[in-house]
Amino acid sequence: MRSTPDYYSDVQLFRGRRSWVKLAVLLAVLAILPLILPGYRIFTFNYMAIFVIVGLGMNILVGDTGQVSLGHAGFLAIGAFTTVLMMTEVGAPFLLALPVGGLVTALFGFLLGLPALRLQGPYLAIVTLGFGLAVTQIIGHWELFGGHMGLVVPTATLGPISLSGDVSKYYLIVGTALVLALCARNLSVTRVGRAFRAIRDSEIAAATMGVNVAYYKTLSFALSAAFTGTGGGLLAITTGFISPGDFHFLLSLMFLAMVVFGGLGSIPGAVLGSIAMGYLNLEMDAFEELPLLGPVLESFSDGFMSSAGLPNVGWVVTGLLIVLTILIEPKGLHGLWIRLGKIVGRGGMDTDAATGALAGAGASSSSPGSASAGPGGPPAGGN
Amino acid sequence: MLAQVIAGGLSAGSIYALVALALVITYKTTEVPNFAQGEMAMVSAFVAYILMTDYQTGFFVAFSVALVFAFVLGIGFEAVILRRVRNPTHLSVLVVTLGFQLALFGLAGWKWGAEQRQFPFPVSANEVIRVGDVSVSTLGVATILISVVLMVGVFAFFRFTKLGVAMQATQQDSMAARINGVPTRRVVGLTFGISSVIGAVAALLMAPVITLDTTLMWDPLLKGFAAAVLGGLNTPVGAVLGGYLLGLVENLFGAYISVEFKSAVAFLMIILVLCFRPSGLFGRHRTRKV
Amino acid sequence: MAFFAVEGLTKRFGGLTALDDVSFEVERATIFSVIGPNGSGKSTAFNCISGIHRPTAGSVQFDGEQISGLGPHHIARRGIARTFQNIELFGNESTIDNLMLGRHQHMTTGVWRGLAMLNGRTHAARDECENRARVQHILELLDLDAVRERPVRELPYGTQKRVELARALAMEPKLLLVDEPTAGMNAHERTELGEQLGRLRADLDLTILLIEHHLQLAMGLADQVLVLNFGKPIAQGTPEEVRRHPDVIKAYLGDG
Repeated sequence: MRSTPDYYSDVQLFRGRRSWVKLAVLLAVLAILPLILPGYRIFTFNYMAIFVIVGLGMNILVGDTGQVSLGHAGFLAIGAFTTVLMMTEVGAPFLLALPVGGLVTALFGFLLGLPALRLQGPYLAIVTLGFGLAVTQIIGHWELFGGHMGLVVPTATLGPISLSGDVSKYYLIVGTALVLALCARNLSVTRVGRAFRAIRDSEIAAATMGVNVAYYKTLSFALSAAFTGTGGGLLAITTGFISPGDFHFLLSLMFLAMVVFGGLGSIPGAVLGSIAMGYLNLEMDAFEELPLLGPVLESFSDGFMSSAGLPNVGWVVTGLLIVLTILIEPKGLHGLWIRLGKIVGRGGMDTDAATGALAGAGASSSSPGSASAGPGGPPAGGN
Repeated sequence: MLAQVIAGGLSAGSIYALVALALVITYKTTEVPNFAQGEMAMVSAFVAYILMTDYQTGFFVAFSVALVFAFVLGIGFEAVILRRVRNPTHLSVLVVTLGFQLALFGLAGWKWGAEQRQFPFPVSANEVIRVGDVSVSTLGVATILISVVLMVGVFAFFRFTKLGVAMQATQQDSMAARINGVPTRRVVGLTFGISSVIGAVAALLMAPVITLDTTLMWDPLLKGFAAAVLGGLNTPVGAVLGGYLLGLVENLFGAYISVEFKSAVAFLMIILVLCFRPSGLFGRHRTRKV
Repeated sequence: MAFFAVEGLTKRFGGLTALDDVSFEVERATIFSVIGPNGSGKSTAFNCISGIHRPTAGSVQFDGEQISGLGPHHIARRGIARTFQNIELFGNESTIDNLMLGRHQHMTTGVWRGLAMLNGRTHAARDECENRARVQHILELLDLDAVRERPVRELPYGTQKRVELARALAMEPKLLLVDEPTAGMNAHERTELGEQLGRLRADLDLTILLIEHHLQLAMGLADQVLVLNFGKPIAQGTPEEVRRHPDVIKAYLGDG
């Protein structure tokens, strides 16, 4: 029985002093990181943060709404090219070009959502896959987009600040990722997020509750695309060069892999999965440089496989992660975290309300108590 | 000109039809859309290649071993991975085949690199047969003939053999089949084996056309999938027709409208078709009962 | 004009006529039972009324408005809630979230306000709190507070049935369609649920359309009863009248 009418605590993200302290620590660590990291590592972090933004978008569509997409690399491309063209052709400042990139991508997401209204499972998979391929094909054949050669991205500026170095980009990108994670988390605990998950669990029941299924499905596609398109715009300024070849089908698979591995429907899971996959994707060209593992992989390649093919280990790992996740722990890292919590026992864990609620939330990723579903939560705090 | 384009469309369509058929027979039995199909076939083609180049075996031995390998790979994939998916949902089985696809692609790339290899084949892709003013490569003719024979064989197998009938029964109603004494688990495994063999045949026919590398089956798989979706994922005949239709439309579009967007037209076509018939041209729509 | 009226409702699936020219009227704040053997078209009738099926012919009037042919979410918004014969809950969601989905149409938080829920004073937060308070009342009414945060998939069958009823009530409907609410319940649970339904009608001024296999319960609660057999109405009237109707006796005894 609840004596206090304080239902806000059900959906509140930061409850009690401890969670505020955690948030402060996380923010402080993130703020100091670029000052102590070697230069090239900052690029790694920027890249991973972009993957996190895409992962949050994937989670809305795949994790919450239960729709499959094998074409998100296409959205990434649309966001990247729109942002760059806004800067070069229209002359818009970056601060305007980036949201326009996100909005244009959202429009394409809405359009792709329309056939999704009538399609399910493999039919939807193949349509989204075709969409992703068509996007890069069309971009590759269009002079405006630089054809197969791609486009050089001009240096972005934020008012008087020039985003020329990795450090200034770091604050922009990681900041955006944090804000978007907060937004995604808010959305998931309120009316719209609930409607998404209702559609995932039972479309028919959702409709009889008054949920306009067509509206929310297309909305989910549009939102997911908007996140991904924003990631695309940020990717463009991070790499400094974009070409259609960067947005290939395997990247779409990797995007799917990050939410599957992280745990479908879980925001901390999506964040962690994206960080892992972003790192893997970036390290793929240099596995032999990994500490400890590198030499082993190299000698194994020379002996049994081929050293030229070593980068492909990244795909093997991604593929195996997907397969093993589905076979062993279909709820991914999020599910592992909950299992761990059960083993350790609630008493052994943090007595903080946020952590306790997550451990007690069982298999539900959507419990209003999963307050750690934001950047301040314990799983996300690990990075 | 038109006849020439149609001949080219039929030859491409044969490959799409084979891949589509392979996808449909497993989809019908288990509702698993097997995205790993293409890479399984690609690896099988590499097995044949290794035998022919490293061990100097003849075509017959190499191809036979490759097909046996494909059969075992199909059964193994079902038994070791698919069967162990817990609480399978549409999403989880689809994702698991994608994962297996990625892993196979990565393994093949790790082993064989990105190098493009000339694939030895009994008939040539350059030798041409002329009928009137239409000229088709002997390989093209062989592709059309072999796929027609194989497809007729598959349909005959389903219709006339005891095992084939058991498979069809399992496809229609797995519960009823089990009650009537059909060993459904073994049947499902066999279905994957046969499907994998059909895919491997497509790969062996494809490799001499465009040289062998690890991306050999990407385009055929996507087009085969599109064809199956076009025709209807639960109708084998529809999927085969979808394959030929796609091959023809694609080649006609490439010849008369735009070569550049030849591949994109396939997907435009399936999006249009699915908007009007969400289960494909020949498929039946299933609605969930409440 | 009756509060709720069905006229000539017919539904065919291919060659099969699942519902054949069914007409009836329901007065406000009464309980109307639909009974009949398995496959007699009861659930099909509910699906047609709630917009899941589009009727082949006939009309449905509700509160002075023609609603047949509307989509399910439009019908829900006019004040019709329902439960399902085979439970259709949002299995991965907690009990409270299932009930909050019942509040969907009464809430106003959209994407922008949802994204920007910064503190307890923002619109989204107030919207949540107000509706959570209402839902809490229903949780307690149906004795579900103990499983408030549990994913409903993990709950026992009978409890899930109650969650479904609670979710429908959270919609604050004017008309409630209940499809076999006591299936899988024991005698005690059944009696209790029957009493709850009766109380709901009285307390909330609710009109209830009830499909129930347990004849004693269906007859005991109802003001009016409709009997269907093979999609056709064979009798209609007060429970007393229906009980004595020769066709009803035949349908039930003939059925074994």
